[in-house]
Amino acid sequence: MSGSALREPPLPPGASYGELIGVVADPVLERGTGRPWRIAFAVTLLMTLGLGICIAWLFIQGVGIWGINTPVVWGFAIANFVWWLGIGHAGTLISALLLITRQHWRASINRFAEAMTLFAAVIAGLFPILHLGRPYRFYWLVPYPNTMEVWPQWRSALVWDFAAISTYIIFSLLFWYWGLIPDLATMRDRARSRAARYAYGVLSMGWRGSARHWHRHDALYRAMAALAVPLVVSVHSVVGMDFAASLMPGWQETIFPPYFVIGAMFSGFAMVVTLAILLRRGLGLEKVITPRHFDAMAKIVLAGSVAMAISYTTEWFTGWYGGERAELTHLGHLFTGAYAPIYYGMLACNVLIPQVFWLRAARRNLVTLFLVTILINIGMWLERILIIWNTLSHGHLPSMWHLFYPTFWDWATLLCSIGLFTFLFLVFVRIFPAVAMHDLNKRLYQEKEERA
Amino acid sequence: MSAGSVLSRRQAALGLLAAAISGGLSGCGEPEEEILPYVEQPERLVPGAGLRFATTLALEGYGRGVICASAEGRPIKIEGNPGHPASLGATDVFAEAEILGLYDPDRSRTIRQAGRPVTWQEFLAALLPRLEALEARGGEGLRLLTGPITSPTLLRLIAAARGRFPGLVWHAHAPIGEANARRGAELAFGRPVSMLSRLDRAAVVLALDADPLGPGPDQIRNGHAFAERRLARAGRTEFMRLYAVEPATTLTGANADHRLRVPPAMLRDVALALAAALGAPVPRPELAAKQARFVEAAAEDLRAHHGAALVLAGESLAPELHALVHWINERLAAPVEAIAPVFPAGAEGPMPLAALVEDMRAGRVDTLFILGGANPAYDAPADIDFLNACKQVRFAVHHGLHRDETAALCDWHLPAPHALEEWGDLRATDGTASLVQPLIRPLYATRATAELLGLLQGRLDLSAHAAVRETWAEGRTPEEFEVWWRRTLHEGIVEGSAAPRFDPPEPRLPQVPPAPAADGLVLVLRPDASVWDGRFANNAWLQECPRPLTRQVWGNAALIAPEEAEARGLNQGDVVRLEVGGRSLEVAVMPEPGIAPGVVALSLGYGRRRVGAIGEGVGVNAYVLRTTDTPWTVPGVALTPLGRRAPPVLAQEEQRLEGEARELLPVIPLEEVLRAAGDASRSEPPPTFYPEFAYETYAWAMVIDTTLCIGCNACVIACQSENNIPVVGPEEVEWGRDMHWLRIDTYRQEIDGEPHPGFQPVPCMHCEKAPCEPVCPVAASVHDQEGLNVQVYNRCIGTRFCQSNCPYKVRRFNFFGYADGQEYKNLGEPVVAAHFNPEVTVRARGVMEKCTYCVQRISAARREAKKENRPIAEGEVVTACQSACPTSAILFGDLNKADSLPSRLRQEPHHYKLLGHLGTQPRTTYLKRVRNPNPALEGDAA
Amino acid sequence: MAHDAGGSGPPRDTADSQLFPRWATLAARLGLVSLVGVPAILLGLLMALQYTPYVTGQTLVRNQPVPFSHEHHVGGLGLDCRYCHGSVEKTRFAGLPPTHTCMTCHSQLWTNAAVLEPVRRSLAEGKPIRWRRVNALPDYVYFDHSIHIAKGVGCTTCHGPVDRMPLMRQAAPLTMGWCLDCHRQPEAHLRPENEIFAGHWTPPPDQRERGRELIRHYLIRTEHLTDCSICHR
Repeated sequence: MSGSALREPPLPPGASYGELIGVVADPVLERGTGRPWRIAFAVTLLMTLGLGICIAWLFIQGVGIWGINTPVVWGFAIANFVWWLGIGHAGTLISALLLITRQHWRASINRFAEAMTLFAAVIAGLFPILHLGRPYRFYWLVPYPNTMEVWPQWRSALVWDFAAISTYIIFSLLFWYWGLIPDLATMRDRARSRAARYAYGVLSMGWRGSARHWHRHDALYRAMAALAVPLVVSVHSVVGMDFAASLMPGWQETIFPPYFVIGAMFSGFAMVVTLAILLRRGLGLEKVITPRHFDAMAKIVLAGSVAMAISYTTEWFTGWYGGERAELTHLGHLFTGAYAPIYYGMLACNVLIPQVFWLRAARRNLVTLFLVTILINIGMWLERILIIWNTLSHGHLPSMWHLFYPTFWDWATLLCSIGLFTFLFLVFVRIFPAVAMHDLNKRLYQEKEERA
Repeated sequence: MSAGSVLSRRQAALGLLAAAISGGLSGCGEPEEEILPYVEQPERLVPGAGLRFATTLALEGYGRGVICASAEGRPIKIEGNPGHPASLGATDVFAEAEILGLYDPDRSRTIRQAGRPVTWQEFLAALLPRLEALEARGGEGLRLLTGPITSPTLLRLIAAARGRFPGLVWHAHAPIGEANARRGAELAFGRPVSMLSRLDRAAVVLALDADPLGPGPDQIRNGHAFAERRLARAGRTEFMRLYAVEPATTLTGANADHRLRVPPAMLRDVALALAAALGAPVPRPELAAKQARFVEAAAEDLRAHHGAALVLAGESLAPELHALVHWINERLAAPVEAIAPVFPAGAEGPMPLAALVEDMRAGRVDTLFILGGANPAYDAPADIDFLNACKQVRFAVHHGLHRDETAALCDWHLPAPHALEEWGDLRATDGTASLVQPLIRPLYATRATAELLGLLQGRLDLSAHAAVRETWAEGRTPEEFEVWWRRTLHEGIVEGSAAPRFDPPEPRLPQVPPAPAADGLVLVLRPDASVWDGRFANNAWLQECPRPLTRQVWGNAALIAPEEAEARGLNQGDVVRLEVGGRSLEVAVMPEPGIAPGVVALSLGYGRRRVGAIGEGVGVNAYVLRTTDTPWTVPGVALTPLGRRAPPVLAQEEQRLEGEARELLPVIPLEEVLRAAGDASRSEPPPTFYPEFAYETYAWAMVIDTTLCIGCNACVIACQSENNIPVVGPEEVEWGRDMHWLRIDTYRQEIDGEPHPGFQPVPCMHCEKAPCEPVCPVAASVHDQEGLNVQVYNRCIGTRFCQSNCPYKVRRFNFFGYADGQEYKNLGEPVVAAHFNPEVTVRARGVMEKCTYCVQRISAARREAKKENRPIAEGEVVTACQSACPTSAILFGDLNKADSLPSRLRQEPHHYKLLGHLGTQPRTTYLKRVRNPNPALEGDAA
Repeated sequence: MAHDAGGSGPPRDTADSQLFPRWATLAARLGLVSLVGVPAILLGLLMALQYTPYVTGQTLVRNQPVPFSHEHHVGGLGLDCRYCHGSVEKTRFAGLPPTHTCMTCHSQLWTNAAVLEPVRRSLAEGKPIRWRRVNALPDYVYFDHSIHIAKGVGCTTCHGPVDRMPLMRQAAPLTMGWCLDCHRQPEAHLRPENEIFAGHWTPPPDQRERGRELIRHYLIRTEHLTDCSICHR
């Protein structure tokens, strides 16, 4: 990839520093909100309120309003959690991993990818708490001195989930903000209204762009990036443990942690592509986000889908090779059971369809990209819900086989959470520069050097 | 300290608040409590200590002796009375559920006339003048309608009433009853005799549509006897063989070694063929090869066990066939005992309902008393128009627990006391009398049956207590009576009151009429395993108790043979119309492998119109298709699909066991046990990374003998009663959220081409390496020093991780506040809360719960033992399910004692661990289901 | 290389010094610190709060329909605890005296004292006296007085020096941690049989040794005492 990156510069030749900054900053400072934005804003605001209603009703009535039942005690809440958290992985991966591996083309996408991470992670963190039977006792997962003199149970993956996710959210926030500071200063300097200048001024914490500032900024930013990578991997590995550290057919598999991390990265990148296409269109960032970027990201997505294919086959193989009755029953249930159609759909979305990215044309065709990446995210959600449905609805004892039927509130909560995400994102692009301007200029500088 | 919920709604709200603002404030907002000591403390009553009293509960008029536990004056649990011949220490579902029946909020509470509350005085004012007038007319037009009565006191009072009113006619109506058996006995012996079958002395039993193991007043006694002869143990060769011939599966058929499903008409041919094979001079009917072979083998087997061979005839059989069976048993010297009928017959006996209705229509009935829960308006045969007949009666008094269908027709209604509020006496099927004593002062202004009969004699002040004492004081001096009274109340049975056995005359060989030729389907009616004849329809425990075999809850369905369903293109849940003689009903069908082709089986007792919030409108009323001369099998039924669907609510959806899955409930022939005697086929647990744990004090364990489990459900209700398990209602069960801690998994596996059902009670396995424990983030699922896997409700936050990781799926989650603010229908009313066991927490919404091995009982025993500085004795801890089981299939004890029952049974060759290969090392283990097939029928598609 | 790419767009030069006053820097620093500090302190306070009587109810005194004084009856007259709390040795519930018990004496003594009016009315009307519970445990805690008495835990160990309480006071915090303190090391609190009902009892200097001796004497199995199932079902 880096090879092709050198061969073909992502930024248009002849672009100037100021011009690029203008491209990014003006939509926020100069141009007003467009009609599409306002409509989207209104809709997602309603959906956000909807989520509030879902949660209120949940707390009044109890988790029984969902479709969960005695064998299938987990349902949408856990699937949504894993899905959102997966999406919440790409941002940090892009920023950190690509930063460390010197993939400078990341400059155009890392900022909003990080924002996406932050929002997705926060929403993901919401679900495990909503999912509790007694949510008002969630803090018992935290080790704090108490008059009961009891502590959390360290062998449980959930305790580590709690730790990992809260750490991850805080970290993502800091990482994102730290990257923002120089750009906030830029905004401060370009802002016309006094209020805006004050606001950006406070947020940029007196950044003056001195060499000392830049030196420290760079050092800490890279250090954080180095920390980020293992953190990201750990978070979804632990989520994988939630299932793998069990006795249930279809869960008890050593492959789960890596398989979950790859899945996360896969769905995350797909989401980044989706958002990139929308932003590029909405904010007119054609100069900044070029087909080159899509090409590179599509390749990563393709790699991801291949990795997923390998994971699935490994699952089937170990299930068949292990030869345990319940495992075989579960395997049979995957392909012939009540959920088989959904399973095939999932395979199509995650494995089959992304293969079009072998074609260069497909990698650069925004329509194809958009559709495929949307399908991938649907496919990844299906994967998560099927992991729960297939195993829990068809456990060890036939007497306790029972299917899961989603209720209105299951769907409402899922959709409204997507609404909240979009809402946050819409707000973000109106307040902050959606692309890291200083990174962009750094990149431009390098390209100039290279040409020279 | 009453057992409140883990967290009341108010506290929950506070908790939410606390979590929201503080996140730290736990334990705040405990409501302030008051303590109200007695003014005058009753003797014997120690606050905080439970009391136990012996009493008797009726079913079909027959008594089952029980011990009732009460806490602070509230009856909370029914257990068997070991001294009583119809209980022998065990119970059945109906007895266990009486607790909830007592606190049923829909019980009638006040005297009413034309629906409006009136006082006792107003009733007397209306009644007494009538009685005077009647007395003048010699009682002409005075009628008494009751259910079956065996109570010596009530019989005495009725006789006395007849003394005052010579014209008084007593009618008895029992929708289930035993009319055919009675007439059969009279046919055979020329006089009323009732025959007690002694399964405990039988080596070979053939049941002709008889269901000794099924629900009924004799289920416990028969189950106990059955278990004695079906004990599969290494080196023990004595093992009963059971044949069943029946149109629809009964529990007896389900537990039979060989079962022949035939249409009802064919039962006659089978019986005749059998008699012929045993040398009766009767025409040998033509039988299909399969049936012929079956009858031949069975007859051979019976003959070979002369003196220990027994043939049983079901109530559905015609009187002639009963007589024929008596003749056969005589030939086989079968273990049956003849006693004079416990239920009065002949002259002093009651008249049938039909006669009464006839007279009512003719206006010959002036004053009618309907006593003891008789409910003809609901359960009379369809050809008896009680409704219109009732209009002809000038003064009709209904006396019952509920304002039911009959109460609606009667001008007057008097609330009756519940069995646990009333004084009385009853006789068991073998004639043994026992006293009924109240556990609690009547909750409402009720009048006992005895009091009303007292009125007829003009004794306004006669209390039930006095009446019973009068009955038994006869022939005893006051001093010795007082002693006798106290002892009898304590023992729960009247010594030496069993009916004397006698040698009946030689049974005559009857003329068996030809079977009525009929086209169309045959409808087979059955008493229901949960609501019996409909009297328990308002009991939520029973409604939600999965019916044996079908595992259906909250309703009944038309059971048909799978091939029949296929032929007619019917699927489970398709609604059909059953039509016969212009009467019809609409019901959902359910294929059931045990049903003979050409047969539709439907259970009675549903479709109640007036009984209460729980029972009304549940299921369909099968009495609609029942007539006086076709009480059990209705021929010529037309079945038409309606294209609607109403799938039955099932507690278990998958029953088939195929291939390797059979290891879950292995069914093995007896030889395997005998052959394997001694050898240790028990596999060691697979290696584990977890450290081994030394259980120094006790190591509680349970062994369940699936051979003995007859699937009667007594343990399920016992567990529900003991452990405050909530009812969730049909909708929730449909979602798959029933709360029973103990479930009876029912599996069917093909053996010789016949579906062989098997029952597997599944409580918590209390795994030594429990998968639920390491996954709980807050350590709410933990192990204790005695090997119990305990669930700490107040610590549980409801992640449900434990259940998702439980291979046995024995945990139950409170998706709603089923017992705490979100109860089903009227189960949240204050009076219902009185049934809670104060020794067990009532679980709040959002917490996981499960079987605890009745840890409260273990704890109580441990505390008592500790106070006396001794270890807990073997058999001192008895779990609720164990105490209920009529066949002692559930055995509990301490593995650290080599001679404890579990320790010994774990040495049996056919002992196995459910999913043992997972390495969970369960403390609850099983004995394989043992069959005793007849070699002559082996490998045959019988 | 860095600063020419820095936050300087088209030159509209506004340094912070003009946008913000001098003290802004200090304010920003303080702001940053409090951003972390304030929540930390709040949480700390909340955690501390749960140990205080405000939450545990320790030292709480309730007004009773009759101002019954343990100080007078136990300390002064020297009544035995079991005279009123009759079932303390038999069942989990220590028992409260039926009105009848009070009247055994008060039908002779203070027969028309105003404070005893509720007692007389209770007997006359047959209505119980409504005492207000002082030592309350949650419903999911199954505490049994009798076993504690039988195994050498004295009344005052939990109820404090009742002989010095004019009105009943909750002497202990009654938190789970407090229960566990004793269940983890009973030797610190066990007494010989004859001192269990002693009005107030101070452990002897060699209590630890005596305690261990008593554990053997009472045959207490300590490993089981911290099982959840001991108190929760």
